[in-house]
Amino acid sequence: MNSGIDLQGSFVQTLKDFGLSAGLAKAIWLPLPMLLMIIGATIGVLVVVWLERKISAAAQQRIGPEYAGPLGVLQPVADGIKLVFKEDVIPAKADPWLFTLGPILVVIPVFLSYLIVPFGQNLIISDINVGIFIWISLSSIAPIGLLMAGYASNNKYSLLGGLRAAAQSISYEIPLALSVLAIVMMSNSLSTIDIVEQQAGYGILGWNIWRQPVGFIIFWIAALAECERLPFDLPEAEEELVAGYQTEYSGMKFALFYLGSYVNLVLSALVFAILYLGGWEFFIPLDRLADWIGVAETTPWLQVLTASLGIIMTLVKAYFLVFIAILLRWTVPRVRIDQLLDLGWKFLLPVSLANLLITAALKLSFPLAFGG
Amino acid sequence: MFNILKQVQDYASESWQAAKYIGQGLSVTFDHMQRRPVTVQYPYEKLIPSERYRGRIHFEFDKCIACEVCVRVCPINLPVVDWEFDKTAKKKKLNHYSIDFGVCIFCGNCVEYCPTNCLSMTEEYELASYDRHELNYDNVALGRLPYKVTQDPMVTALKEFAYLPQGVVDPHGLPKGSQRAGQRPEDILPEIEAAKPKAESTEE
Amino acid sequence: MNLAEGVQIVSFGILGVMMIVTALGVVLLPKIVHSAFLLAGVFISISGLYILLNADFVAAAQILVYVGAVNVLILFAIMLVNKQEDYSELPGRRLRQVSTAVVCFGLFALLGTMVLATPWSLNTTSPAVIDNTIVALGEHFFSDYLLPFELASVLLLMAMVGSIILARRDLIPESSSTPGTVTTKLTLPERPRELASLSGDSDRQ
Repeated sequence: MNSGIDLQGSFVQTLKDFGLSAGLAKAIWLPLPMLLMIIGATIGVLVVVWLERKISAAAQQRIGPEYAGPLGVLQPVADGIKLVFKEDVIPAKADPWLFTLGPILVVIPVFLSYLIVPFGQNLIISDINVGIFIWISLSSIAPIGLLMAGYASNNKYSLLGGLRAAAQSISYEIPLALSVLAIVMMSNSLSTIDIVEQQAGYGILGWNIWRQPVGFIIFWIAALAECERLPFDLPEAEEELVAGYQTEYSGMKFALFYLGSYVNLVLSALVFAILYLGGWEFFIPLDRLADWIGVAETTPWLQVLTASLGIIMTLVKAYFLVFIAILLRWTVPRVRIDQLLDLGWKFLLPVSLANLLITAALKLSFPLAFGG
Repeated sequence: MFNILKQVQDYASESWQAAKYIGQGLSVTFDHMQRRPVTVQYPYEKLIPSERYRGRIHFEFDKCIACEVCVRVCPINLPVVDWEFDKTAKKKKLNHYSIDFGVCIFCGNCVEYCPTNCLSMTEEYELASYDRHELNYDNVALGRLPYKVTQDPMVTALKEFAYLPQGVVDPHGLPKGSQRAGQRPEDILPEIEAAKPKAESTEE
Repeated sequence: MNLAEGVQIVSFGILGVMMIVTALGVVLLPKIVHSAFLLAGVFISISGLYILLNADFVAAAQILVYVGAVNVLILFAIMLVNKQEDYSELPGRRLRQVSTAVVCFGLFALLGTMVLATPWSLNTTSPAVIDNTIVALGEHFFSDYLLPFELASVLLLMAMVGSIILARRDLIPESSSTPGTVTTKLTLPERPRELASLSGDSDRQ
C-alpha cells in the first residue's frame, strides 16, 4: 500500500539539507502540526458559529447576521473580540482557583482529542494504537471541569447545572463507547487510520453506516448528549437553570466554555465521519478509478489531488453532520432530566449492547463482510 | 412468554413511531429553510402603522378647556391637568398638562372622551429613553408632531400584511401605488348609497 | 542524550512533582472538595507515568475509569451530601492515631522493601518491547490471567445486578413499618388522606 504524501519526512529532509541536525529538525517540525490543528479547530469553530446562526435564521425564516462582513461571516470574530475585551468577573465568595480552572479543564481535553483525527493517510498528528479510545477517555475529563465550574460559582443554578452535566455525560458515555466498540470489533483496531482503511475500497458502499445502522443512530444521539446540543441541553436549560454552570461566567472564561462546546461539536462530527462515513474516502473509490485511467498511484499530481480531496471530504462530511445537528436543534424539543436518563440507561444502553452482540455474531458468521 | 413478546413488540413499534415523528419534524424544518425571510430589518426598514394605530398621544394646548374628563376616564387617572380659575374671564385657564408614557397603557380612553378633540393618537412608537422620567411628557413635548415613516430618507417604509394586495405576503419590492385587497372606502360609499332606497322599498 | 530521552526525563520530573504535590494536597487540604479535585490530578499524573512506560491502553483506561467515573462519583457524593456536623473529640483518639501510624508505616515499609528488592535495570532495547499493547493485553487476559479476569467480571456483574435491584424499589418487599407513622423534625403537620376524604363526604351529605 502506497502511503501517499509524507509531509514530515520531506520537511525534516529539507531542514537536514540546510545543515541542521536530525534531532533539531524533528524538534522544529513537532509543534507545527499541533499549532496548525489548534488554529484549524478554532477557525472551524468560527465557521460553525456562523453556520449555526445562519441555519437557525433560515429555519425560522429570518436573515441572521448580515452586516458584519459579507453575509455576516465576521460576526463570530466580532463575538470573540467582544468576549476577549469584556471584564472578567469573579463573583464574591466564589472559589477563585476552581472558578478559573473549570473552563480550562473543559477546553483542554477537547483540543487534545484532535490528536487522533485523521484527514488523510499521513495527515494526522499521531497515529497511536489506542486511537479512538483516547477520545473516549479524554471526553470523560470534561465532567470534572463542569462540576468544578458549577461548584466554584457559589450559585445554586450553577451547581445544579454542573451536576446535571456530569450525570448526563457519564450516562451517555457508555452507549457511545459500546457503539464505538462495535466498529472497533469490525476493524480489529482502535487506530482511527485502520478504521478508515477498513471502510476503503468500495466507495460509498463500503462505509460503516450500512453495516452499523443501529450503532450509527446510537452514536449520534449519544454524541449530541455529550456535546449538550439542543434536545439534550439540560445543563444550560434557560427556562430552568438560567445558563447552568455558565451562569456566573463572563469574558474570556465564558468564551472558553463557548469555544469548548463548539469544538466538541465539530470533533464529534469529525469522529462520526471517520467511524461511520468513511473518513477521507470519496464517494467512489479513487484509486481504482486511477487504475482504470492508467495513472500510477505514485504520480505526484494524483497524490496532491487525493490528499486535498481527503481533507475536503472529511470536512464536508463533518459539516454535513453539524448541519443535521443544527436542524435537529430547531426540530426536537428539550427532554426532561428523567426522560434523558431513561433514554440513556433504559433504551440506548440495552440497544447498544444488543448491537454489539449482533455485530460479534455477524463477524463470526460473515467474516468477509464484517471484517474477519 | 407471549406476554413479554407483545411488550417487546409494542415497545419497538413505539420507538419506531417516535423516530418517524422526529423525521417528519426534520422535514418540516428543512422545508422552512427554503422559504423567504419574513422579517423586517428594523432600523433600516419600518412598517407603516395602520390608521387606527394607538401610539404616543398628541395634545393641543389651545383647544383644551381643562374639563378633566381625560383624567376621569383614564384607568389610572394619569393625565396631570394644572389649571386655575381666571376670575376676570370667568373661565378655567390651563397652565400645564402632562402624561407619563412610562405608565400609560395606550388604551385611548382619553382620546375617545375628549370633548374638544384636543387629544389624538399618533403613530409614534419609538419611546425608548435612558431614564424613565424622560417619558413624562409635558404639554410642549405632547404638542410635537411625530416623524412620518414614509418621509424618513433613512428608512424603507413597508406596508403591513393587511395592506398588501391579494395573494402577496412579502412587502419587499412592491410596485408603487399598489393597493390592498378589497375596495377602498370611497368605492364602498356609492354602493351603500345605491343599496339604501332598495332596502327601504322592500321594507314598505 | 537525544531529544526523546530528554523529553522523557523532563516529563518524568514534572509528573513526579505533580503527583507528590497533588497527593499531599489530597491529604492536607482542609476543604474536602479541593482534595477530591486534587485526586483527579493524582490520577492524571499516574496516567502520564503509564504513558512514559509505553502502556498507552492502561493510561487511557486509567483516565476513563478513575478520573471519568470514580472521581466524578466521589465529587457527586460530596456535593449531594450536605451534612453539617460539629467537631467533637472521638473517644480513644490516641489509640486510633497510633494504630493508623503503625498501619501507614507498615505499608511504607512494605513498598520500600518492594522497591529495593525489585531489579529495576531493564535493557531499554530489549526485544520484549511490545508493538501493539492491546493485543498483548488481550492474550494475557485469556491465557495466564483468565481466572482473575473472570472473577473480576463476575464481581462487576453482581454489583450491576445489585444496583439494578436497589434502583427498582418494586422488587424489594415492603418493610413492616407502614409509611406515615415515621415522624421527624421535618415532617409537615398534615391530615391523613383517608380522614380528609371522609370528612369531605360527610360535608356533602
